[in-house]
Amino acid sequence: MNFFKEINLGKLLILILFIIALGIPYVLRANQYQVLLATTVLLYGVMATSWNIVGGLAGQLDFAAFAYLGIGAYVSGTLFIRFNITPWFGMILGGLVASGFALLIGIPLFRFGIKEVWYALTTSALVEILKVAFNMWEKVGGPVERCLPYFSGSWQNMRFVSYAPFYYIMLAMLVMALIVNQKITNSKLGYYLKAIGEDETATEVLGVDNRASKLKALFYYSFLIGMTGGIYSCMYGYIHPSFFNGPESTKVAILGIVGGRGITYGPLLAALLLVGAQEFLRASLGGEFSGLYLLIYAVIMVIVVLFKPRGIATIFQDIYRKFVVREVKNKDVA
Amino acid sequence: MLPEPILKTLELTKSFGNLIAVNNIEIEINRGEIVGLIGPNGAGKTTFFNLVTGLEAPDKGQVVFKGVNIVSMPPHKICKLGMSRTFQITRSFGEMSVEDAIRVGAYNRLGENEVQKKVDEMVEFFELGDIRKTKCSDLGLASLRKVEVARATATEPELLLLDEVGAGLTSVELIKLMAELKKLNQETEVTLCVVEHVMQMVMGLCERIFVLDAGKLIAKGMPDEISNNQKVVEAYLGRRSYIESDVAC
Repeated sequence: MNFFKEINLGKLLILILFIIALGIPYVLRANQYQVLLATTVLLYGVMATSWNIVGGLAGQLDFAAFAYLGIGAYVSGTLFIRFNITPWFGMILGGLVASGFALLIGIPLFRFGIKEVWYALTTSALVEILKVAFNMWEKVGGPVERCLPYFSGSWQNMRFVSYAPFYYIMLAMLVMALIVNQKITNSKLGYYLKAIGEDETATEVLGVDNRASKLKALFYYSFLIGMTGGIYSCMYGYIHPSFFNGPESTKVAILGIVGGRGITYGPLLAALLLVGAQEFLRASLGGEFSGLYLLIYAVIMVIVVLFKPRGIATIFQDIYRKFVVREVKNKDVA
Repeated sequence: MLPEPILKTLELTKSFGNLIAVNNIEIEINRGEIVGLIGPNGAGKTTFFNLVTGLEAPDKGQVVFKGVNIVSMPPHKICKLGMSRTFQITRSFGEMSVEDAIRVGAYNRLGENEVQKKVDEMVEFFELGDIRKTKCSDLGLASLRKVEVARATATEPELLLLDEVGAGLTSVELIKLMAELKKLNQETEVTLCVVEHVMQMVMGLCERIFVLDAGKLIAKGMPDEISNNQKVVEAYLGRRSYIESDVAC
């Protein structure tokens, strides 16, 4: 009985949050800039949630998020500019190319057992290498911004007058990332990844193919982010090598860690709180106290790391557990 | 004719720099028995385990498991063939619950629908019911070792290598563990190979014992034979002549 109650409680909460999320563009409709900020928060939510598969579950400190985002953006953007292929199709292709690229990198990395700090270094170098490479690749624009053709309010080409549609597309992407995450967490792959994150030697002798499991994780992660890249290029309306953004990639990993590694909704929570706070502070204090938002952002992060090193999500987990346990106890007494 | 041994090593050798950790070791383990592997510190017991389970590659020699030479086979494939192990220094999945840790092992042979049944079975067998939802990092040593044995058993091995499962346990815990391992051996017919320092455990549990010293196999036989073997006593306590000469001085 209690089991069903638990599920219903969770579902109800998700439904409420989803309805709130649906209403946000309507509330902010007077100010397009704020809708863009809300979409940015969702973007980081998607990225951090996808990162959770590799960085949270499998425990691989991955700093290459924007490498896959950039590849997705370039594939989808270039196809649109050159061959007039709709970004709806381009973003799926972008996801595939990004994940193909990720596997190309991942196979030798995992083959030679590159992990921990070395994996982190390799992946962060990847972003910078791609940035240089795309700067030199004249055919896709080189160092010049290539603008996507503009159609006033055209659904089929993912070009809109307002930011609200992008917000909803990003929200759909987020829901997809969360579902993929949750499905993996509760499957064989999820258990394998969690165990690999704890101890790779121990998993090997339990019959886990570490390399294959990590590659699968990398595939899902880079595919989701590559797809997001397609949306990203349409949202900003151009493609540019600056999409391969090292510091922002690190931020995605930070969100994943601060939110709670391996907890599906953790990274999203961190994105909502931290990126939300950051964008809000930047927008409201940017004029008078430029840079103050970074200070506040940093303070929040230090507090989280000091008191909840397993992530913000653990606070909610503890509360939830207490609530449920109390309920069970009361029943026993009755 | 004797039945084919489940595990056989031929001229197995591994050295680290100048140190020959495992030197030309040839042993045979028969199906269904409980075998002990003992020896003083640094005798090469753990290295031997690593070679057999594929975590390290030997310099020379063969490991024949169920008639297949498994040298240079990756550990997860060896596990699929039917061999698993525990570790001397426990390698637990700290953030996972006991149940989840066992589940990782159970996935080795079972699909999504049968896994939970196997986990319940293991929890019951090893009497982990009270702590099944506890995180592994919150467990004491005795429980951790039990969880390691349980998750290795969940892979449904035919040969289970236990690396010092008794180390650091109180004698009450030890007796309980021994009883459980014996029961496991009888009920599932799994072959056990036990590396052990605790003599009480080896003598009480094993049917046959191999003794290693400085990488070499110096004796093998029944527990009684081993405890009276001159070479074994020397390996553990030093040579008698030295002791006598010390006294003479």
